[in-house]
Amino acid sequence: MILYLLKRLGVFVASVAVAGVLVFAFMAVLPGDPAEVALGVNATPEAVAALRAEFGTDRPAAAQFADWFGGLVTGDFGTSYVTSAPIGPQIAERLNVTVALVLGGMVIALLIAVPAGTFAAVHHRNPLGAAISAFSQVGIAVPAFLAGILLVFVFAVKAQALPSGGYVPFADDPAEWLRSLLLPWLSLGLVQGAVLTRYVRSAVLDVMREDYLRTARAKGRGRMGALWRHGLRNASVPVVTVLGLQLATLLIGAVVVERVFVIPGLGDLLLNGVAGRDLLLVQGVVMVLVAAVLLINFLVDVAYAALDPRLRGAR
Amino acid sequence: MLSVEGLTVAADGVELVHDVSFTIAPGERVGLIGESGSGKSLTALSLMGLLPEGVTATGAARLHDRDLVGVPEKRLKDLRGSELAMVFQEPMTALNPLMRVGAQVAEVMTLHGVPRDRARARAAELLGRVRLPHPEQVARAYPHQLSGGQRQRVMLAIALANGPDLLICDEPTTALDVTVQKQMLDLIAEVAPALLFITHDLAVVASVCERVLVMYGGRVVESGPIREVFTRPRHRYTEGLLAASKLTPRGTRLPTIAGSVPAAGTFPGGCVFRNRCPHADTTCEQAPALTGEGHAHACWHPADRG
Repeated sequence: MILYLLKRLGVFVASVAVAGVLVFAFMAVLPGDPAEVALGVNATPEAVAALRAEFGTDRPAAAQFADWFGGLVTGDFGTSYVTSAPIGPQIAERLNVTVALVLGGMVIALLIAVPAGTFAAVHHRNPLGAAISAFSQVGIAVPAFLAGILLVFVFAVKAQALPSGGYVPFADDPAEWLRSLLLPWLSLGLVQGAVLTRYVRSAVLDVMREDYLRTARAKGRGRMGALWRHGLRNASVPVVTVLGLQLATLLIGAVVVERVFVIPGLGDLLLNGVAGRDLLLVQGVVMVLVAAVLLINFLVDVAYAALDPRLRGAR
Repeated sequence: MLSVEGLTVAADGVELVHDVSFTIAPGERVGLIGESGSGKSLTALSLMGLLPEGVTATGAARLHDRDLVGVPEKRLKDLRGSELAMVFQEPMTALNPLMRVGAQVAEVMTLHGVPRDRARARAAELLGRVRLPHPEQVARAYPHQLSGGQRQRVMLAIALANGPDLLICDEPTTALDVTVQKQMLDLIAEVAPALLFITHDLAVVASVCERVLVMYGGRVVESGPIREVFTRPRHRYTEGLLAASKLTPRGTRLPTIAGSVPAAGTFPGGCVFRNRCPHADTTCEQAPALTGEGHAHACWHPADRG
């Protein structure tokens, strides 16, 4: 168990390092010198050189990388070339918002998918189960931003029950925070929930055919009792895989939903950075997103080990 | 103790088991033999109320005075695992891979009212009773840490946990190594209260059971004491089965039964065996009844008359 986790942790750390090199390399080969961008087309070569020296971009790439990546470890993302503001605190603030958005969406997706998928599997032979499958099919076809726009139309424009956009930090007003995130959560959760429902359904259907469920019934459990006690944990192994993939997709996909609901999250920061040619900011945000996806993969591996003793190796 | 009368199992209008009747007395060990597709397993599963979805049983089956067929699931599940227990063919997949073995044995007891701590202690005892070495250690293991033979012993421990009146075993040794088979069979014969033992292996049934039912095409075609049926078979199918299982001298052809078992629902009318039987004639278009006291057969042209 410990050996397995150490191995996974090693893979995680190594991947983050490799990702750091790649992100840095991509940014380095992009045309556009930050010093030239900052000073405009009329700058004298001396002024550009001076600014380069100030930014440190005149040093060899390896030294710049070591500086940047070493800073990341301590949470120092450097200082923006454009706004001269430190990047780390901005990312931290925005990350809070995006994580709240994505996790809330995922919780809603799970709350929909686990009961609906299980129900559809148990009743796969009758019309109600088939109806759930069909409904989830429709959900898959709808992109999250479209669901978001529809929700805004119904709940914000027509019913005027919830704000159509904007974000209130939790520390300012928890109730308003909840109200401001409810529609974004729903638009992410409904769509991901529809996708997840299908996976839950097929995982539960597979498990229902397993011999050990028959054994459980031979012991005197009813159909549902056997499924509850012996099926759901087994079915959760493939579902966790999909969940990890979905979390990663949500994290990246949040860029769009943040736009629709005017939420100041990481995606919003990334788009601002791109628009303002703030290279170091973009580099930092991309690095955080990549590291988050790798972290999710690591957590999925940990979840496997927690669920399935066969992966733990020893008893 | 167990009486089965006119048990018929059907799926989508196709009869898979037809009008099967037999009894098992307390302490009696009865074998159920036949080729794959003869309806042995369905017969057993319908007694347990564990038929697959879409497959239904009609007729009557009674354990003591309690009905087993056509009874709501709620009543059946109280019997399963307590008075009636079953060991399945495939030990590798019959246990929950995510649960410790001891907990899986204890579960069958807590389900039928044994307090949790008492069940835990009994589980280790039972694992010892089915001759698993180091039962305490096995109780803490996960199924993937045990061999097929060990897992089948665990299944047997689960089946015996609540002291059932009848044990049903469906090919319990078919998936095991030959060396493990014998030990397992001896153990089953020793611990079974009363036994319904399903197999296609004639040698196995002869070593475990006292009485045998021969099934073909979803019907019981012959039944009687093992010795009689195996030395003086009456039904032509039994005769062919025995001939095919005998050791033959080197160089001679292994006798076989002509043709192969038809797919479900495509057995001929009348005697189900007549399209493969060398003695079949027009009388066989009528279905023969299972007749005879003790040693019974359903054949118009039985072998070994007198």
